[in-house]
Amino acid sequence: MVRKRSEEPRIVTYLHNKAGKLGLPVGATFELTSRCNFDCPMCYVHQCGKNAEARKRELTTEQWIDIARQAREKGTIFALLTGGEPFLREDFFEIYSAMKKMGFYISINSNGSLIDGEIRRKLLEDPPFRINISLYGGCAETYKNMCGTPMYEKVLENIKALKAAGVDVSLNVSITPYNKQDTEKIFNIASEIGVVAKAVSYMYPPIRINGEKFGENARLTPKEAAEYTVRWDLLRFSDEEFEMRAKSMREFADIERDECLGDISEGVGCRAGKSSLWLTWDGKMYPCGMMPKPVAYPLEVGFEKAWEYVNTEVKKIRLPSKCASCPKKNACFSCAAVCYTETGAFDRVPTYVCEQVDETISQMWDAYVSKSKKEVIE
Amino acid sequence: MNIKKELIKREFAGEAILVPVGKTVYDSKGLFVLNELGNFIWDILLDVETTDDIVKRILEEYDTTEEEATKDTEEFLEKLRTLEII
Repeated sequence: MVRKRSEEPRIVTYLHNKAGKLGLPVGATFELTSRCNFDCPMCYVHQCGKNAEARKRELTTEQWIDIARQAREKGTIFALLTGGEPFLREDFFEIYSAMKKMGFYISINSNGSLIDGEIRRKLLEDPPFRINISLYGGCAETYKNMCGTPMYEKVLENIKALKAAGVDVSLNVSITPYNKQDTEKIFNIASEIGVVAKAVSYMYPPIRINGEKFGENARLTPKEAAEYTVRWDLLRFSDEEFEMRAKSMREFADIERDECLGDISEGVGCRAGKSSLWLTWDGKMYPCGMMPKPVAYPLEVGFEKAWEYVNTEVKKIRLPSKCASCPKKNACFSCAAVCYTETGAFDRVPTYVCEQVDETISQMWDAYVSKSKKEVIE
Repeated sequence: MNIKKELIKREFAGEAILVPVGKTVYDSKGLFVLNELGNFIWDILLDVETTDDIVKRILEEYDTTEEEATKDTEEFLEKLRTLEII
């Protein structure tokens, strides 16, 4: 059976809360590269066909290790190593092992295609706490269509091998126009392997690489995004759980939300820039990878000063007052990064999301009603 | 005393936290948080042989009774044994 969601351990929540109050970065994402062996159209960091150019601008091994050392001194414990595809870096294990020795609690994001042979052997010797693998489809054809490479079998084989070896594997599922037809198949694969799968149908506009085309992405319409959210919920929840969720959403009551999301208020509600930060492949510091403002430069001013700047500036951000007083905010997933990437400003309402949330509430209810009717007839 | 697992101690805002590394990650996926006395004992664990050694060191450092120190030490060591750390 697929586990419905991975609950955050209480100690992680406690440390983030404490760090937020004290203004310390207990969590950091290390985006080691923008290079990738996949070319997914909705990606926010990898630019298709620009691997060689990107490599020249990446931080060196020594720079990453030094930045990690500075992060450790400032209190960082939770580290996410991501990309691009992090295993494309030939020095991945140099950085990883150095960070392990420093006592970081490390998770890795990967597309899973390269974790075989020597890479797998080294990883199994000193595993991360979790490896989050993006599963983009349920067959080679979908992989070819979405990622530009038919590596489905390879990815699946690597996921199974990691799981069999006892590594904590979790699947990230991005539902887009290119793979939506595989939604159920992906869910079933996760169930068969017995790993957590987390699906999202909302794709942030990739403003870091698309020349700040706010509100644009190769993504589903809000209505379709809602449809696939509901389809995923129908798969992952029992009838009772689905009913409860549909009713809660219709009443705008609290629903289970990703731990990444905070409360929707006029200030930044999540951990971005308060207890966590994001270091980009070319040496910038952001509050979050989806939110390239405020930006600081740790290679120039040092990690501590860069963090102080980000932490101070994030507190000044004001989100739309309309969102803070919206009756549907408990069913909404908007955040500072959503507002900015959708509209180009933190204080403008991201209407794409309003539409998706409205549609999700209504389609969840319709799905619940039609399920109930079917049960009565049967 | 012998520590069987690979754990690295980190300090964060007054908290002492043990982070599992190496193959220890396979059977200890979470973090261990030490209280003040646990933190003190952890730091001397490799230098001592017996519970009495620990109690002696506690009495040098803390204003407490031998009875109290023995009880707290035994409780802490028992937790470590349950977690197969020692």
